[in-house]
Amino acid sequence: MSRPTLGDVEQILAALAQEGYIADREIATAIYLSIELHKPLLVEGAAGVGKTEIAKVMARALDTDLIRLQCYEGLDVNTALYEWNYQKQMLRIRLEEGSGRSPEEKEQTIFSEPFLLRRPLLQAITHPRAPVLLVDEIDRVDEEFEAFLLELLSDWQITIPEIGTIRAQHVPYVVLTSNRTRELSDALRRRCLYLWIDYPSFEKELAIVLRKVPGISRQLAEQIAAFLHAVRALDLQKVPGVAETLDWSAALLRLHRDHLDREAVERTLGCLFKHHEDQRVARGPWLDRVLAVIADAQRDGQSLQAALDRLERLARG
Amino acid sequence: MRPELGSLTEHVVEFSRRLRARGVLCGPGETADALRALRAVNLVDREAFRLALRTTLPHRREDLAVFDALFDAYWGAQAGPEREGPQERPEAQPPVEASSLGAPSVRGWAEEDAEGEQEVPGYSPVEVLSRKDFSSFREDELDLIARMVVAIARRIATRWGRRRRRARRSHLLDMRRTLRLHLRWGGEFPELAFQRRKVRKHRVVLLCDVSGSMDVYSRFLIQFVYALQEALGRVESFVFSTSLTRVTEQLRSRPLRCALDRLSQAVPNWSGGTKIGTSLRQFLDRYGGLLDRHTVVLIVSDGWDTGEVEVLRRAMQEIRARAARVIWLNPLLGSPGYQPLTRGMQAALPYVHVFASAHNADSLKDLERVLARRRLGQATRRL
Repeated sequence: MSRPTLGDVEQILAALAQEGYIADREIATAIYLSIELHKPLLVEGAAGVGKTEIAKVMARALDTDLIRLQCYEGLDVNTALYEWNYQKQMLRIRLEEGSGRSPEEKEQTIFSEPFLLRRPLLQAITHPRAPVLLVDEIDRVDEEFEAFLLELLSDWQITIPEIGTIRAQHVPYVVLTSNRTRELSDALRRRCLYLWIDYPSFEKELAIVLRKVPGISRQLAEQIAAFLHAVRALDLQKVPGVAETLDWSAALLRLHRDHLDREAVERTLGCLFKHHEDQRVARGPWLDRVLAVIADAQRDGQSLQAALDRLERLARG
Repeated sequence: MRPELGSLTEHVVEFSRRLRARGVLCGPGETADALRALRAVNLVDREAFRLALRTTLPHRREDLAVFDALFDAYWGAQAGPEREGPQERPEAQPPVEASSLGAPSVRGWAEEDAEGEQEVPGYSPVEVLSRKDFSSFREDELDLIARMVVAIARRIATRWGRRRRRARRSHLLDMRRTLRLHLRWGGEFPELAFQRRKVRKHRVVLLCDVSGSMDVYSRFLIQFVYALQEALGRVESFVFSTSLTRVTEQLRSRPLRCALDRLSQAVPNWSGGTKIGTSLRQFLDRYGGLLDRHTVVLIVSDGWDTGEVEVLRRAMQEIRARAARVIWLNPLLGSPGYQPLTRGMQAALPYVHVFASAHNADSLKDLERVLARRRLGQATRRL
């Protein structure tokens, strides 16, 4: 079985950068080893830190297809694996009326591969080239389905009663993501390599904003990254992720802002804070203090680290 | 580099062993992965070496901190592994001895009749009123309550499953079977095949307050827990006062008297003060894996917490986020004039789906009725 590989970690970093993903070495190493060791990669972290992106970038960098299985509570085999195409089956039965074939023959015809609807897992197994299979938010499915998935990840084969066993021609690259709403089983964890993605550092977030929001000034991007740094130290119901940062940056740009002030923040509050209670906190006197610290730091060109530390203290105090 | 690779392998094996000794989920499979990973990275690069081990050995976020600490200690500031003394094992849990103060109050229940009341600790303001309910329990009433508990347990603990089974009539068509029938008859649909979703059981996690302020209810409560565990397969039971003890095993003993005996030996701080928040936090840290979207958490407590309210609030928030449903039974709620105003209760309430009293038979009947009306509905109920 030949699998294309990506060379070493440095090359993966370059490939990721080329795809517009700002990754650190930790992420690049995890992707690299997942490919080299042929092992699924379990990615955990808060919502909005770019877990799903990893699979997308991996597929683009490997120049292969991405097949995505979005998990939700109640996900069953019919949606994840395969389903029979009942309309097509019925049409065939109609067409064959009066053909004189025995019911057994007809049954064999309509329960054969052409009448199969391939859902993501079956697609991944039967793909002509090893694809990237993204199992998104695995923590949402129940234990039973998790056990089923674990079996699939070990054997890479599935059995359809009417057809028989289908074995994977090319073992897919697998990325599983979890928001940790439920503890995953130890067995599943041990099947995977592990990557935890934290919220980005100030430098990383700044780089992401500069790259992903065309036309934004460095001054505004720095203010945004510093602001988010302060926001994440707050005690919030829903901490904004990178996706929120980008939405917010785009909104500020649309409003033709080149710096942060109270009015700009208040008008765009909904991009960052998705809970009423969080918005109330953000609107409070905290906001003026944070904006003052950021403005001072930029005007005086003082050490950014000192300003970030002050911002964190502001959030706690 | 050849000769060194052998010793490196030994060190990686030893390193994994130490991780395992510190509770990290990490066996021979992980060690083998780590060694394969090391072959794929540039070993001269210390950071590459560290990341290769970090990606392959630990599997959960909690273990990353353990890994980081041990990595520095074991491999030192330089890439070369550093000598360390004989490996220290995490201290074994000292055998829990029954507290001389607490044990009798448990052990007594099996023999004692309902007249033998316990003293209500001083800091509960509603002592006399609430005590009355329980002192009036007679044996036949206890029987009735046990039956009701079973009915409640069934309500709490069932849900619709993913698997389906055949059914004569239902709203779910079984297309696969219908088509087969269709073929057999060769014409129009002679018969529709139906399926029904199987009813599956929820897991129930029971957290029962056995602190001093709850003492008068304890006899009843343990019976409740015992009956619940008997009725359902998947119950995990814990009792807490200042700390938490898992009692699932002890309560599996038959008969009840025997279970109570074992229980009294296992629980170290029976009828002490109450630290609800700390106890719930302990539960989350040690047994958090029990919680998922199909777990019902049943907390039985009067909400008198002598610990930090914020600790309680955060623990409740996390439980609520991770469990299917949170039910809080408060034995004091039935007392006339009682308002759930204790600070602990106030902090916990926003995270509770069903808040009900459990002070007498009628209140349990009410609870059963509410649970019957909705199978895991979302609305918060106050009884």
